[in-house]
Amino acid sequence: MLFFAAQVSAQKITSADLQVNGLTCSMCSNATQKSLETLGFISSVKPDLNRNIFVLTFKKDADINLDLIRKKVQDAGFSLGGLTANFNFNQLKIDDKGQAVVDGNVYRFINAKNKTLNGTVKASVVDKNFISGTEFKKQAATANSDAYTSGTGIVNGKKTRIYHLSIS
Amino acid sequence: MKKIFLLALILFGAKLNAFSQELYVFTEPASNMPTKSIGVRITNEGMFNYPGYVSRTIPEVMFGFNKNLMAHAQAFLSDMDGKYRLEGGSLYAKYRFLSVDDTHSHFRASAFGRLSTSKRPTYTRDINLEGDNSGLQGGLIFTQLLHKLALSATLGYAHAFDNQSRQVAGMPRPNNMLSYSLSSGYLVLPVAYTDYKQPNFNVYLELLGKTDPSSGQSYLDIAPAIQMILNSKTRIDLGYRFQATGNLEGRYTKNMYLLRAEFNFFNILK
Repeated sequence: MLFFAAQVSAQKITSADLQVNGLTCSMCSNATQKSLETLGFISSVKPDLNRNIFVLTFKKDADINLDLIRKKVQDAGFSLGGLTANFNFNQLKIDDKGQAVVDGNVYRFINAKNKTLNGTVKASVVDKNFISGTEFKKQAATANSDAYTSGTGIVNGKKTRIYHLSIS
Repeated sequence: MKKIFLLALILFGAKLNAFSQELYVFTEPASNMPTKSIGVRITNEGMFNYPGYVSRTIPEVMFGFNKNLMAHAQAFLSDMDGKYRLEGGSLYAKYRFLSVDDTHSHFRASAFGRLSTSKRPTYTRDINLEGDNSGLQGGLIFTQLLHKLALSATLGYAHAFDNQSRQVAGMPRPNNMLSYSLSSGYLVLPVAYTDYKQPNFNVYLELLGKTDPSSGQSYLDIAPAIQMILNSKTRIDLGYRFQATGNLEGRYTKNMYLLRAEFNFFNILK
C-alpha cells in the first residue's frame, strides 16, 4: 500500500510539446531555450527549429509549474502558441463540472466530465497566454466562465489556480 | 520623397516569398532583447568624403531587465575633429507597452527615450544623438510581423541642448528634429533550420528620414544591409546609407557605412 502511494506521488507530467510564436531567427530560439533551461524541474529541452516547437522532458518527482514555463517564454520576448503535455494519471476522477485535483493542482477539463482517467493522457493547456489571443477569445466566448477567463477559482474556500485542459 | 516611400512599400509588399526578420541594422525593433540577458556591441561607422575619410567607433552594452524593459549604454569615439578621441556617450531605454501575438503574426509597440552628450562642435541643424550632439530624444516604434513580412516604423522627436561654447559662429544651430523610419527585413538562409550552429543570413532595407520642423529642411536615406548570425548568439551587420533626397546642409551620417559585431549572453543577469 505504501509502495502504491509512492507511485501516486511520482511524476505527473512526463513531457510536453511547446509551440512558441514570434520566433524569427535561431538567436530568438536560442534565447528561449536558454530561458527554459533555467527551470529546475526541466531535464531537457529539444528544439524543432523549423516548426518552433520545444520538446520538454521533466525531472522525476519534480514539481512542475506550467505557469513558469509560460513566463520563461514570455521573458525571452515571445508567446505560447500551444502547450500539449503527457499527463500521468492514476485513477483520476473528474467530477460533473469537469474538475479534478492532483497533488494540489486543480485541473478543469473542457471536454471531459464524470470520468476516470488512468495512465498517460495527452492534453493541451487552453488557458490565457497558453494559446494565441484570438483562440483564447473564441474559447472564452464558448466557455462563458469566470474561472476560464481569469484562470482562477474558489476551491475548498481558497482562491486557486485552475488549469483548463483539453484532452487530445 | 513620397514616391520613394511608395516605391519602397511596393517593394516590401512584393517580397512575400522570403521569411521575415526584425533584427534591424540602422533602427531598433519594437521587440526587446530577452530578460536577464546582456548584449555587447562594437560598431564602426565611416564616411569617405567628409571631405577625407573619418570614422566613429561605438562600444555598446545592452541589458534586458524584464520582458518589457531594456537599455543600451554607448560611448562614442571618432577622429571627426582631428585626433581620435572620446566624444561622448548615450543612454537609451525602450519599453514595450503592447504585444498582440498570434500564430503567424505579431504586432508590438514600444516607447523609447535617449539622453546623449557630445563634445563635438555644432554647425548644422541636423541632430545625431549617436555621437554628434548633446540632447534628448523620445519616440515610438511599431513592429508588425505578418506571415513572412516584417515591417517596423519609428517616429522620434529630438531636442539638442543649447550649447553656446560649442556652437560654431555663423553656422546653423541645432534645436529640434523629427525623425522617422520604415524598415523591412528578410531571412534568406537557412531555408530549413536543423540546429543552432547553422549560420543565418538576413537582408534588410530601411528608409531613414529626418525633418527640421522649424526650417522644413529634410532628408531621406535608403539603407540596405546584410547580416550574419553565427552560433545563434553572435551577430555581424554590414550596411550603407545613401542619401536619396534632401536639403539639410552639413548633415551627419551622410553616405555612411556601418559595420557591427554583437555578442549575446543569455540569462546571465541574476
